Amino acid sequence: MEKLKVLHVEFGGCEGCAVSIIRAYPKLMENIELDISYLRERECKFGEYDVAIITGGICMNEPRAIEELKEIREKVHTVVAYGSCATFGGILRFCRGGQEPRPDHRNFQPLNSAIKVDYSIPGCPPTPQMLQSFFRFFIAGNEARLKLFKVSADVKKLSGFDLIDDIVLTGLCIGCGACELSCPTHAIKMVDKRPNLIQEKCIRCGTCYIRCPRASQLMCMGGGER
Amino acid sequence: MMSTGENPLGNFLGIYLARATDEEIRNQKVASGGAVTALLAYALEKGLVDGVVAAKRTEGLEGQAVVARSKKELLEAAGNKWSIVPFASRMKAKIEEEDLKEVAVVCLPCQAQFFAQMRDFPMLESDFGERIRYIVSLFCMGTFAFEAFLNYLRMKHEIRAEEVKDIRLKGDVLEVHHDDTVLAIPLKEAYSYLQTGCLVCTDYTGVWSDISAGFVENEPGWTVVITRNGRGEELVKGAEKEGYLELRDGSHVLGEVLKRAREKVARAQRNMAQLF
Repeated sequence: MEKLKVLHVEFGGCEGCAVSIIRAYPKLMENIELDISYLRERECKFGEYDVAIITGGICMNEPRAIEELKEIREKVHTVVAYGSCATFGGILRFCRGGQEPRPDHRNFQPLNSAIKVDYSIPGCPPTPQMLQSFFRFFIAGNEARLKLFKVSADVKKLSGFDLIDDIVLTGLCIGCGACELSCPTHAIKMVDKRPNLIQEKCIRCGTCYIRCPRASQLMCMGGGER
Repeated sequence: MMSTGENPLGNFLGIYLARATDEEIRNQKVASGGAVTALLAYALEKGLVDGVVAAKRTEGLEGQAVVARSKKELLEAAGNKWSIVPFASRMKAKIEEEDLKEVAVVCLPCQAQFFAQMRDFPMLESDFGERIRYIVSLFCMGTFAFEAFLNYLRMKHEIRAEEVKDIRLKGDVLEVHHDDTVLAIPLKEAYSYLQTGCLVCTDYTGVWSDISAGFVENEPGWTVVITRNGRGEELVKGAEKEGYLELRDGSHVLGEVLKRAREKVARAQRNMAQLF
């Protein structure tokens, strides 16, 4: 089988996601040809790509960056937003400057605020194994397993706040504890069988929401392609 | 709105009726054939797993996550579960405390979904999906908001939590065994005391599991076993080959399982429309 041509582009952020991709690459080499800025001289290797993995949020006050993002959209078949900043805004939403492309700019949003995204994989950062799994199911054409990430591609914001609002305050929480276990910043603690959010600690990565069995089941029912 | 075109049973390889060959296991079970306990005993004794994490009823309807490493410990945890325990976080602690490398988990469909998603899609460095060898999901019509259910039992039937010995589903009736008597509650009435989250859940069998297990009315003494992938199929076939499990074809009960599964989807749809 011909290798998938995969492009990685970083749009600001901490580069933790880029490191995750680099770490994932050795086990992916068999099936994909990764074009990532760390491994090339300057220009992109190819004119068109099968998949673009895009990391970081998009600066809404920088038309040039938005244009660049749209150009990438046009030359790739499938866009994967990778990491919480690219998918749901993540910690970049708290940014008060100091980011690419202009250090004085402040408004960063997830990629789907500017372009159509096909799959959103949150995580801060997602593990290398996550990307390896994604490609395993993607190459196998297993849409059922990837549905959650497909549905997430149309969601612009998910966080512990949404989990509390949508699942806990609506009485849908069954107290399984998946969210507590999924929070990378320990912002969620089970108190008397229900999750309690320590608000200052929530970095809006959305992992808890994606991992909540009730929330992910409802998300997959509500939208996405069959 | 919800999509119902999909098969509510999910993908599966085989459907069987199974029961434990071990008398001791069978004697502990009334509703079904003890196949889950037998499967896990096989996995433990043949070294396929080094521990089984399951929920065990402690008092009343409360439960806790326990690790079983032998048939004896398995038997102690066996039986129907009527409340959900904060299983996920407790389970991680258990796996780390006891340093388990290959674990089988026995859980409900929602928990199976969490564990399978973690195993397939490890989003966090702290995930432990690679340690989960088998995910066994039990058929589930919902778990009780047990404070509310116990309150109902006390107020309406004057039964106190510590008197409840077992709760069994018989057709459309829920039997509450307490002291030496049995109280029969129509299922419809009991539904009011299920957790709201369970009332909007569409998964009866646990579509994310490796093996789903439960029972059907017209095959008493037998456990319905659904295998969903090679890993699950291998475990079931291995247990049969090694004499732990008596196995026969279960395709004639598929309709019955499907009927229950559809009921759960329909219930979820009704409740979703009402609640949101």
